[in-house]
Amino acid sequence: MPKTTAHQLASPQANVFALLSRYRTYSIFLILFTILANGLGLLVPRVIAAGIDTFSLTQTVPNSLIWEASAIIAGIFVFSFAQNVLQTFASERVARDLRNELAAKISRQDNSTIEKLTPAVLLTNLTSDIDAIKTFIAQAVAGIVSSLLLIIGSSILLLITDWKLALVVLLIIPIIGIAFRVIFSRVQTLFIKGQEVIDWLNKVINESILGSGLIRILDSQNQENNKFAQANQAATETGMKILGYFSSLIPIITFTGSLAVLAIVVLGGNFVINGEMTLGSFTAFNSYVSILIFPIIMIGFMSNVIARSAASYGRIQAVLQTPDPIEAGTLSADHLQGKIEAKNVSLLLGPKTILKDASFTIKAGTRTALIGPTAAGKTQLLSLLVGLIPPTSGSITFDGKKISEYDRTSLFRRVGMVFQESVVFNMTIRENINFSQDISDEALQKAIQTAELSSFIESLPKGLETVISERGTSLSGGQKQRLMLARALALNPQVLFLDDFTARVDLKTERKILKNVQQNYPDITLISVTQKIASVQDYDQILLLMEGEIIAKGTHQQLLQDSPEYIQMYESQKSTSQYEVSTE
Amino acid sequence: MKYQLSNTTSSSDSVLGAVRSFWPLLRHQRAQLVGALVAVVLGSLANLLGPLVIGYTVDQFIETRNFGGVLQAGGVLLVIYIAAAIASYFQTSLMGAVGQRLLFTLRSEIFVKLQSLPLAFFQQNKVGDLISRINNDTDKLNQFFSQGLVQFMSNMFLMVGAAIFLLILNPRLGVAALLPAVVLFFLTQFLSAWIKQANAKSLRAVGGMSAEVSESLENFKLITVFNRRDYFRDRFSEVNEANYQSAISAGIANNTLIPIYGLASNIAQCVVLFYGLMLILQGNLSIGLLVSYVSYVNRFYDPIRQVASIWSTFQVALAGWDRIAEILGLHSDMEVTSTSAKTVAKKTELLRFDHVSFAYDQGKDVLHDISFTLQAGKTYAFVGPTGGGKTTIASLMSRLFDPTKGRVLLEGQDIRSISSQTRTQKIGFILQEPFLFSGTIGENILYGNKEFGQLSPKELEKVLADFGLADLLKRFPHGLDVTVGSKGQSLSLGQQQLIAFIRAVLRKPRLLILDEATANIDTMTEQLLDEILAKLSKETTKVIIAHRFNTIENADEIFFVNAGQVKKAGSLKHAMELLLKEKRGS
Repeated sequence: MPKTTAHQLASPQANVFALLSRYRTYSIFLILFTILANGLGLLVPRVIAAGIDTFSLTQTVPNSLIWEASAIIAGIFVFSFAQNVLQTFASERVARDLRNELAAKISRQDNSTIEKLTPAVLLTNLTSDIDAIKTFIAQAVAGIVSSLLLIIGSSILLLITDWKLALVVLLIIPIIGIAFRVIFSRVQTLFIKGQEVIDWLNKVINESILGSGLIRILDSQNQENNKFAQANQAATETGMKILGYFSSLIPIITFTGSLAVLAIVVLGGNFVINGEMTLGSFTAFNSYVSILIFPIIMIGFMSNVIARSAASYGRIQAVLQTPDPIEAGTLSADHLQGKIEAKNVSLLLGPKTILKDASFTIKAGTRTALIGPTAAGKTQLLSLLVGLIPPTSGSITFDGKKISEYDRTSLFRRVGMVFQESVVFNMTIRENINFSQDISDEALQKAIQTAELSSFIESLPKGLETVISERGTSLSGGQKQRLMLARALALNPQVLFLDDFTARVDLKTERKILKNVQQNYPDITLISVTQKIASVQDYDQILLLMEGEIIAKGTHQQLLQDSPEYIQMYESQKSTSQYEVSTE
Repeated sequence: MKYQLSNTTSSSDSVLGAVRSFWPLLRHQRAQLVGALVAVVLGSLANLLGPLVIGYTVDQFIETRNFGGVLQAGGVLLVIYIAAAIASYFQTSLMGAVGQRLLFTLRSEIFVKLQSLPLAFFQQNKVGDLISRINNDTDKLNQFFSQGLVQFMSNMFLMVGAAIFLLILNPRLGVAALLPAVVLFFLTQFLSAWIKQANAKSLRAVGGMSAEVSESLENFKLITVFNRRDYFRDRFSEVNEANYQSAISAGIANNTLIPIYGLASNIAQCVVLFYGLMLILQGNLSIGLLVSYVSYVNRFYDPIRQVASIWSTFQVALAGWDRIAEILGLHSDMEVTSTSAKTVAKKTELLRFDHVSFAYDQGKDVLHDISFTLQAGKTYAFVGPTGGGKTTIASLMSRLFDPTKGRVLLEGQDIRSISSQTRTQKIGFILQEPFLFSGTIGENILYGNKEFGQLSPKELEKVLADFGLADLLKRFPHGLDVTVGSKGQSLSLGQQQLIAFIRAVLRKPRLLILDEATANIDTMTEQLLDEILAKLSKETTKVIIAHRFNTIENADEIFFVNAGQVKKAGSLKHAMELLLKEKRGS
């Protein structure tokens, strides 16, 4: 049996056991306590036997025996308590460390990798998958150790007592081993599928919550219920299949074990009748076999835990083995001036051309607007400029050095970015703005004032310490967007990218904010994606992007002369611009 | 309006109460439960019978050298073992199936419950915690039912049998043997509350961790740009540590019973031994009987020790059930009320706010005593500074919330008395922040659409052309079959807004609300949208919330919203003036 087990455990799930080697001290003590507790347990019958024997001779029980019994009982209690406590600590430690390791791995990835791995799967990895491994350590390790011990011990006793009969009895071990292997290999894939169904459930629940508003507006609750029922059904089916295998495995093991007993009764009975074996040996044989069978059944139950954890550990390993993005850049951006240059930049996503051959120069300390119709590629161009995604071809430089040459952290410290989507975290306003570390109070106040948030924050009873609910449901769209701006400005950036940020801010506030930025951050290089020509007329440069190509660049006046597309766009906004001019 | 799931546990709840409350979820599986119970009893009987047959064989056949008898006994044993194997198969499969189906029922019940709750619920609870309740907590119940319950029953069965046997064999020794078990009984009662508490805390920590993970992962782009990978690690390691601490407490609580039960078992053996020896001295017992009695004591305590670990699984399941029951116990306070007497309204009146006040979650009034009427077929614009209450008004129009005071009337009928189906058919609301489900663009356009939901991509294009929406397809240069993620990562916000726009128009609503729904769409495409809106049926009423004034030029009426008040602005120019003059109300 030990050999079979070792081999069988060596194949797909060897790594789960490998995990233990990193916790050698825990493992050693855990095994030690398990052995001590179980070993002492075997002494109890002996003490009782001794007590009865002494009593039948002397009609008294010596005090020493009472002390011995008490000591053994206390010892068992202490060691099994220690084993249980250690088991808890070991399993939770492993789980905690694995989680941290996974989180550290995740934190090193690019956003695109996270989107590819999907948050739903990573959530399962960090919760359900690690739980499976935790259960393995908590239940299987001590269980397997004590089972193996008992199996080996009783096998030896059997062989010593009567090797011929013992060999027949031990025949059950390879039979059970084969049953294990067959069922194991099938169940393994099912467990992996089971975890994937949990990913699926996570995704459906997640979307039904993030989209809860839309669902209620469209009255599509039933559609969501159906989606969930589908995933739930799949989960139940997988669970049922796994159950099917285990509910046959367990009777097979017990029955095979029982066959051993049967063999003893019939064969052993025959031996005794023929005088090849004493009745005493026969009785002993019987009791050793019952010691042998219990741990085999135990391992049968444990195999469920092992298979599940092996499947989960495989999934976690897959994430842990994702290659880290290569970050070769070492250049410090501390003294960034803010000159940006794009040369023949193209971006392909699969077969789709997103950007074609874009070239332009942005001088340090100037203001540049990026305009163009929806789906022209503005946001993607911005992502390229910030270095969130690499271009397929061409180069982007900051102060003449390629983005890839910069130390990413250092560059992001000097570059602020306000995304289109408002992202707020469930923490205080101060923490939301102070998102980047080490922001001075002065920088914080300047950012708040620039983003025109002062009066709003003052109106809150708890001011900066007001906690914002998850997804910022307690704030209006404009408030969230201004919070995003303050967050970027608090970095005191040299370069600021704004992706359509004024879309939800009213006219008056927008004007004020843009004026504030100019006043408070005079040297800043500003790149702003926008729809409104009116607010960027006085910019140093306007880039007009259409269908992935920069079709015109220059100042407002230049474009009005050169670019018919720009003129068309300008005309489409003119009527409202007049309103704005007239009210100033 | 209080939907926030509490983070405290009710420790006073009795076990029986909990069992009674989840019985309805199990009731339809009565047959399986009974079947499993029968299998348990038969299996236990077979297991008791085996040793008896062997003992009989030794005494009757082996000692008398009757090999034929031995073979006969072997045959009997084989039958017993086959019966035991069959019983064991049914035990595991029936009980496991009960667990799996219970898991299915529980998950469905929670999910369907979530769908029946109003938006306010989702604003007050965290995604990750809800996921944890649906997946993790339900699994705790499953674990108890599929693994614990059957063992619990069979062990109980064995235990009671053994206890009766011990008492009959020798009442005095029996009482001595069972005394430690009585202590255990009270101790377990006493410790259970603590075990459950510790597990409840641990499950809560798991929920908290899950909430943290989903919040961070959904916003990972921001974390990378703001150099806060360390922040993600730190925040995570903080919740991870909290989770670790509470899991340790729970683990220790779960594991205390096992050594204690073991101790009781050993003490019982010694008590029986010494008391038995005393009885022998008094001449009330034979040594032979004592020897076998001591081994019988194990027959009682072995199953009890099994129960020790199952009992912890049970407490974990109870703690999980508390968290589940909390969701199942919630009720929407936005049910459809019985049809109230229809106020006589003019034919042209579509929607009316009648002295409406509103506050989020018992806070300050966001809207105060607002009244206005929208006429069918007209276009209305709502302007005002950010945070003034525009989105709240739109949300009340589409009954995402109910007013705290006053009434919203749709075609003269209190909106609360209109079925959700009718209401949502009549009112289309394009939200400020578009949301896409994972799937193709086409699927997202047709999401929730009963009329066109089954269209093929080709047919969809034709329908879009019929609605005059064909030109918008140019904004999706790679077609409608492109797959998008839940956050619409591969699409720009403008494109997402276009999808939301198309989705709403295809539903042919009588009232179409655009809440800054085109904010990220370029002005030229927006002109296209204006043309589409203009071509909509004459009866369609439009409500436009916007900052960009070009989008509201053509409004029949402009409302100015600030500080929870609404007033008619008259002309666009007047609205501009108001906007520039008025102090922002917050």
